[in-house]
Amino acid sequence: MPKRRDILAIVLIVLPWTLLITVWHQSAIAPLLAIRKDDGADGGRREAGQASDSKEYCSSDKDIVEVVRTEYVYTRPPPWSDVLPTIHIITPTYSRPVQKAELTRLANTFLHVANLHWILVEDSQRRTPLVTRMLRETGLNYTHLNVETPRNYKLRGDTRDPRIPRGTMQRNLALRWLRETFNSNSSQAGIVYFADDDNTYSLELFEEMRSTRKVSVWPVAFVGGLRYESPKVNAAGKVYGWKTVFDPHRPFAIDMAGFAINLRLILFKPQAYFKLRGVKGGYQESSLLRELVTLNDLEPKAANCTKILVWHTRTEKPVLVNEGKKGFTDPNVEI
Amino acid sequence: MATRMKLKLKTVFVLYFMVSLMGLIYALMQLGQRCDCAEHDMPKDRTISRLRGELHRLQEQMRKAEPTKPPQKLAVKPAQPTIYVITPTYTRFVQKAELTRLAQTFLHVPQLHWILVEDSPHKTPLVSGFLASSGLAYTHLHTPTPRDRKLQEGDPSWLKPRGAEQRNEGLRWLREDRRGQPGADTQLGVVYFADDDNTYSLQLFEEMRGTQRVSVWPVGLVGGMRYERPVVEGGKVVRFHTGWRPSRPFPLDMAGFAVSLKLVIANQDACFDGDAPMGFLESSFLQGLVTMDELEPKAENCTKVLVWHTRTEKPKMKREEALQKQGLGSDTAVEV
Repeated sequence: MPKRRDILAIVLIVLPWTLLITVWHQSAIAPLLAIRKDDGADGGRREAGQASDSKEYCSSDKDIVEVVRTEYVYTRPPPWSDVLPTIHIITPTYSRPVQKAELTRLANTFLHVANLHWILVEDSQRRTPLVTRMLRETGLNYTHLNVETPRNYKLRGDTRDPRIPRGTMQRNLALRWLRETFNSNSSQAGIVYFADDDNTYSLELFEEMRSTRKVSVWPVAFVGGLRYESPKVNAAGKVYGWKTVFDPHRPFAIDMAGFAINLRLILFKPQAYFKLRGVKGGYQESSLLRELVTLNDLEPKAANCTKILVWHTRTEKPVLVNEGKKGFTDPNVEI
Repeated sequence: MATRMKLKLKTVFVLYFMVSLMGLIYALMQLGQRCDCAEHDMPKDRTISRLRGELHRLQEQMRKAEPTKPPQKLAVKPAQPTIYVITPTYTRFVQKAELTRLAQTFLHVPQLHWILVEDSPHKTPLVSGFLASSGLAYTHLHTPTPRDRKLQEGDPSWLKPRGAEQRNEGLRWLREDRRGQPGADTQLGVVYFADDDNTYSLQLFEEMRGTQRVSVWPVGLVGGMRYERPVVEGGKVVRFHTGWRPSRPFPLDMAGFAVSLKLVIANQDACFDGDAPMGFLESSFLQGLVTMDELEPKAENCTKVLVWHTRTEKPKMKREEALQKQGLGSDTAVEV
């Protein structure tokens, strides 16, 4: 009799602990269901409960749920998150007939991206009303700058003083603005990306670049006279060369749209800028990157540089023959 | 003494059992919660945990924000007209890029149904895959252009009107789809012909949503001018301001008008004439549908440009072609 009682006692002791251990190792489905159900009730508790010292369960990688995108289709731009690194997009722009169209469709793209900060730099003496108005109407988080490229830099011809690549002074101004605005001690996580106003960007690209630690790279379509140019990635996931035809021995044979830099690195190396003069064609990107990273530090994205997420499209110059000398259309109507 | 001891032991056991049980229940409740992973020192888990919490916070925010954002999001009234956008497209290098940025614009427009018609004898995997992951409501159609109507290599783009067969196919599908669904509500809608290389502002779609018959507005960068537009006097269109062949019945661009679905269904035979002379494609369609004084001017009496007839350059492929001759062309498995 006492034996049975002892056994019962032992069973009662051991049972909860075995259950505990079994459940501890269980897979992820159950916790996800628990989340969905008590979303409303626990929302508040979860936000506050950072330093809870009771034992909580860590979930495995498989837990990340795919967010149903259509939920926030009508909320533009997406709500600001305190956790996601900010993507600072530097876009140089200049006045020409297609400018408003280009900026409009670019804005339509950016309105989908969370935590985006658009730094638009005009190549002009002062900020134009067209761009000022457009930026305000989009509702995006933006900074509007301007710097005029001196005329002698713009003109072609003189081989002793070749034209500097377009947008250089504007990009440098944006870099300077970033360095003046953010100090290196701040914990503000950020990524810097140079986006020209006529390229095409997929939304996936921005999520790929968000995890950049130093400099990340990926393929770009329609550059270098090829379907696409891409970094060469070895089996260890490191960049060891460049798959291009045009001068593959450049230090960084990559297009402006093919890389992103962590803001911390920009702030850490305050002397790094795009070189203004004496830069050979195709070497502009290298002039900045070689001051920031070595080939070994590059992080390949887009499935180890096998997917195209950005296209170097160019817009045709519209034919305006029917405007004639005096202009046929009302110049007050903005296009 | 002995009984008291025994009792004490029993109590201890019972207490112990209750405590364990409660601990277990508590642990079960904690499952799936955001984790304070500092003790594990696993940065990945910490990040995942943090992001999860963030995700829920954002979802909460959005759920709260949606009902109180009337200016940005149109309250989905049951009778809000759907905009049917018919886009002809054809395979070329920049196709995926064009469709990508077009979809990014359309995703902002509520109640939009995209009818994408390929100039092809069959559906291509590129477009099929693209549409499936776009997040839009769509219909994927295809119809090839007859050889004699197709532009040949080296032909200037204005030589033959393009996309007529594809737009007609879109109209045919729309009419057939509506035939199977009787009722006044299903005829509520607007049809717009959007080419895949133009640029559309979001405001344009809201302007066209209230179209009763045919609405019109200016189009930028077309007709050899900064913009072309209908001239409005007294709220009615009296003539068209264009530098190229203004004597056409409807001298406007494909992107410059929208037709109400009701009108499209009421005129079953109205379609685009692929043999029409250059610039008369739009007229061939609109002539049977409406007269000039019936046109509804939008975009502040046709004084604002909300759509631009942009064209994308053909990318230079000299090096690619040279490589392909040597058998070293870029990996065709990579979709561009």
